[in-house]
Amino acid sequence: MNAITTYGANMTAAIRTSLMDRTNFILNSFGMVLNDIFFLLLWYMFFAGFRQVGGWGLHDVALLLGLIMLVVSISGVFFGGYRDMAATILRGEIDALLTQPKGVLLRLLARESIATAWGDLVMGIWMLITFAALSWSELPLVLLALVCGTTIYLSCAIAYASLAFWFAGARSFARDLTDFMLLFSSYPGSIFSGMTKVIAYTLLPAGFIVLTPVALLRAPTLASFAILIGATLGYASIAALLFHLGLRRYRQGLVPTG
Amino acid sequence: MPSTTQTARADLAFGGTLAAAWSAFALGVRRNLANWPILMGRALFYLVAMTVLTALWDKVASQRLAGTLASSLPNGGLMMYVGVTEWITLSVASIHLRLEDDIRMGLLEPHLLRPKPYLVQKIAESLGDTLGRLIGIGAAALLALVATGHALPPLIAFVYVAILGPLGAALGVLIYTNVGLAAFWVRRVLPPYIIVQKIWFLLGGLFAPISLYPLWFYHLAVGSPFAASIFLPGNQMIAPSATAFGEALIAQIVWIVLLSGLTALIWRAGLRKVLREGV
Repeated sequence: MNAITTYGANMTAAIRTSLMDRTNFILNSFGMVLNDIFFLLLWYMFFAGFRQVGGWGLHDVALLLGLIMLVVSISGVFFGGYRDMAATILRGEIDALLTQPKGVLLRLLARESIATAWGDLVMGIWMLITFAALSWSELPLVLLALVCGTTIYLSCAIAYASLAFWFAGARSFARDLTDFMLLFSSYPGSIFSGMTKVIAYTLLPAGFIVLTPVALLRAPTLASFAILIGATLGYASIAALLFHLGLRRYRQGLVPTG
Repeated sequence: MPSTTQTARADLAFGGTLAAAWSAFALGVRRNLANWPILMGRALFYLVAMTVLTALWDKVASQRLAGTLASSLPNGGLMMYVGVTEWITLSVASIHLRLEDDIRMGLLEPHLLRPKPYLVQKIAESLGDTLGRLIGIGAAALLALVATGHALPPLIAFVYVAILGPLGAALGVLIYTNVGLAAFWVRRVLPPYIIVQKIWFLLGGLFAPISLYPLWFYHLAVGSPFAASIFLPGNQMIAPSATAFGEALIAQIVWIVLLSGLTALIWRAGLRKVLREGV
C-alpha cells in the first residue's frame, strides 16, 4: 500500500466517523448552510446599497465566496486534521505515527473530517452555480482554481502549524493566522493596497487562494495562470520544507510540549 | 406572610449570592488579564479585522458613486463605528462553550449540590472575562487610533461608548448564554451558535450601520437585542447625542432584563430535562 492509498483509507475512516452521529452531522452541516446564507445576505445588502466596490460587484464577491467556501470545505472534509495540527504536535501525538512506515504529514491531515465543512461544500457549489455568473465552459478553470487554492490554503495552514515544532505558543497563533488568512480571503481584492496588499500576497496569501483565481476566471491570461501555478508550487514547497525540518527536530526531542 | 427570620435568611442568601457572583466576576477579569498573551492575540485579531474593514469602507467612501448610499456615509467614514462594533463583538466571552462542556460532560450535577447558583456564577465569571477583553482590546484600539492620526469624534462620544459598550457586551454574554443552554437539547451548540452569531452581525449592524438598510429592514433590526448590543453604541461614534444615549441605555437595560428572564426560563426547563432524563 503506498502513501496515497493509506491516506485514502484513513480519510474514509475519518469521514465515516464524522457521519456516525447523524443528528449531530445534520445539525452541523445545516447550521453552516444557514451561516453561509446570512453571510451572503450581508453582502447582498451591501451591494444593494453601494452597487460596487472598486469594480467588484455582487457576482464577483459571490465567485470569491463560493471559491473560498469550497477551498475551506474540501480542506475540512478531506484534510480536516490540518485544523488542530499544532496542538497534535505539541501534545506529542506524532510519536505513534513515527513508528509506522507511511508519510506522517498525510496521516496527520487524514486524522479528522469536519462535519460543518459539508455545509460549506453545498453552499459553495450553490453559490458558484447561481450567483457567480459562470458558464459551464469555465468548469476546467474553476477546478484548477480550486486545486490551486486548496493547495495554497492547506500549505499555509501546515506551515503555520509547523511553528509548533519550535514554539510552545504556536497552537493559538497558528489558528489565528489561519483565521486571518480566511478573513483576508472573504473581501474584494480591490480594497487591498499598500501594506495590506503585500500581506495578502505573502504571509496571508488570500491573493493566491482566491483573488488570482477570480482574476483568472474573469479574464483568463497566461500570466495569471503562470502566477497561480508558481504560487501553488512555491507555498507547497515551503510547507513541506518547514514540516520536515520541524519533524527532524521532533525526532531529536527538541520540540516544546504544550 | 413570611416571618422576620425567613426574610432575614432570604436577604442573607441573596447577599451571599451577590458576593459570590462578584468574586466570580473579579476572577474572570483577573484571569483574562493574567492570560495576557491570549489577550494580545485577540487585540491583534481586532487590529487585522479593522485594517480590512477600514480598507473596505475607505474604498466605498472614496468612490462616492451617484445614486448609491455612499452619499449617506458620514464624513469621517465608518472606521469609528466599525471600531466600536468589532470591539464589542470580539470582547464577548465564549460562555456557550463552557456551558456546553459542563452540560454535555455531566459536570453540571456536582455544581447543583453547592449553595451558590451555578448559572449566576458562570454568567458573572463570563462578564468578568468580557470586561478584561474590553479593556485589552479597547486599549489596543485607542493606541491604533492615536497612531493613525484619524480624525476623532467629540470626547463625549467616547464617554457614551464607554458606558454603552460594556452593556452591549453584557447583552452579548446573555445571548450566548442562551445559545449555550441549547446543550440541554442538542449535543453540540456550534450550529445554533453560528446561526445566532450571523443574525447578530446582520441585525446588529456589525459591518455597516443598520440605518443604511432598507427602511423595513431597519425597523426589524432596530427593535432587536442585537441592535441594542452593537448598533446603538456604535452609532454614538457617528451621531453622538444625549437623547440617543438615553434611549440606547434604556433599550439595553430593557433587553438585559428580558434576556435574563428568558435565560432563567430556559435554564429551568433544561434542568428539569436533565434531572428527569439525564444528559
